[in-house]
Amino acid sequence: MNDIRIKTVDLSKWYGKIIGLNAFKLEISSGITGLVGPNGSGKSTFFKLAIGCLKPKTGKILILGKNPWMNQKLMSDIGFCPDYDNLSDETTGREFLELVGGLHGLKKISLRNRINEVSEIVGMKKELYRKIGGYSKGMRQRIKIAGSIIHNPKLLLLDEPLSGADPNVRKSLINLIKYLNEDLGHDIVVSSHVLYEIERMTSKIALIYKGRAIASGEISDIRNLIDEHPHNIIIVGSKIEELAKKLLEKKYTISVGFIDDRKKIKVQVSKPDEFFDNIAELIKELNCKIEQMYSLDDNLEAVFNYLVER
Amino acid sequence: MFEISDLITKILALIRYSTRKILFKKRIIIAFLILFTVIAVMGYAGAQDTDRLTTGSDLLGVLAVWFFMPVISMIYGCSVIRDEIDDKSITQIITSPINRIFAYFSYYISLAISLCLINFVITSLGFISFFAQKGIDGEAINIYTTFIGLVILGVFVYSALFLLISVVFKRPIYFGLFFVFIWEGFIGTIPGSIQKFSINFYLRSIGSKQLEYITLNQATDVNISLIILFGSIILLLIFGSLLFKTKEFA
Repeated sequence: MNDIRIKTVDLSKWYGKIIGLNAFKLEISSGITGLVGPNGSGKSTFFKLAIGCLKPKTGKILILGKNPWMNQKLMSDIGFCPDYDNLSDETTGREFLELVGGLHGLKKISLRNRINEVSEIVGMKKELYRKIGGYSKGMRQRIKIAGSIIHNPKLLLLDEPLSGADPNVRKSLINLIKYLNEDLGHDIVVSSHVLYEIERMTSKIALIYKGRAIASGEISDIRNLIDEHPHNIIIVGSKIEELAKKLLEKKYTISVGFIDDRKKIKVQVSKPDEFFDNIAELIKELNCKIEQMYSLDDNLEAVFNYLVER
Repeated sequence: MFEISDLITKILALIRYSTRKILFKKRIIIAFLILFTVIAVMGYAGAQDTDRLTTGSDLLGVLAVWFFMPVISMIYGCSVIRDEIDDKSITQIITSPINRIFAYFSYYISLAISLCLINFVITSLGFISFFAQKGIDGEAINIYTTFIGLVILGVFVYSALFLLISVVFKRPIYFGLFFVFIWEGFIGTIPGSIQKFSINFYLRSIGSKQLEYITLNQATDVNISLIILFGSIILLLIFGSLLFKTKEFA
């Protein structure tokens, strides 16, 4: 069985001199797929092309085997939750869901029942009669997700659903997205510019950068790619000079540099796994007191640059 | 059969939502301000020693039909779709399985219904505030029904025009201001055949044939005026809906 949900072939879209997508090639299958890329990488352009808001300049995009441009019938099978706030502050959550449900042909009792169901799913049942203007960021995201699933679509497109939400809301939204896939059977494409958030939802990701799909597959493969390139790690603490000397003796260390009056060191390593396996032992041996240790290369921008340059 | 019922459900959902949005948004304050202005001016004029039918019809014509009706139509017509494009709430419509042509017609119907309601209230209360003081008889009722008819007809034409404008231009209000104040307000009243290119002219032509108190040189036949106005509505709606269907929403 063909389980390709989205397929793009040399898809390009530009706005004047600004390129949104450039010869974009990607295949997305069933399940949850994470679309990861820094801000401005083309994620939202991809979604807008997928829902028929934009027309491709060249190439093609097929959603569930069909071209979405001027294909309103296809919208019965797609649910879309945009990254921007498309809610009217002056309407209530129920009015919003009545509109969306009505636009999908739901009427009277079936509409009422479905509103109750989806508001229950997203945990917004008690808030339905409140004006959206008084909703928190998390509530707004939830009501948007409710609107995107009210017609029980096959494919759900969630553009940055976690952006701007606080850690607790993020956690509950991640659980909700997993529930929508695992229990309700929606295939989901979810975008984010934060890799670890996507990792908590799925193992399948596509990396998008400067309008191109630069890698796709299992997250572990992408992680291996990332781990293969030199890592920059910052260590902050006392007796740091001793630690720097010891690190320089290790084969995996490429360079060590002091920053901020010798309170911090920046270590560049070729094999981050070996570094992380050994560092605890070294710290213990030298009796160092480490206040902070973080990897600069968790910054996706650096990873993407690296992957593009390979 | 199922598909038609399905389509009607979708259209009604959009009409209901959009009408509610137009009538209950903060912008309705403008309609109230206009209403108070019309009531105040007509109420004051009604208290003066003036010719009942001539002054009454002149005032009602100027205030309710020739000036404020196009202004209100412009304010609402230029914003109903454009506001949704700007705040991106149009996404709900674009990602719904309703043909965009029907979505456009739904917006038009909700705009026209709302404007008819607003202008009906303004014209009616303006009429009452003047004629209640001077006496309401058969002739006064004839003036009232004629202006109500002109207001409704005008609303349908201006709604079609400004809805199209709101899809074409990013800042439709500038075109709207030019059209209402310069084109309709000035070009539409100067002598010569240029005035035939204004909507105002055909509404006045119909009004002048119905009421002897409205005078208009070169007035066009009522049937021709009606054909031109209804033809304009149809053409504007076809053009607007096709533009909306093929428009990209970035």
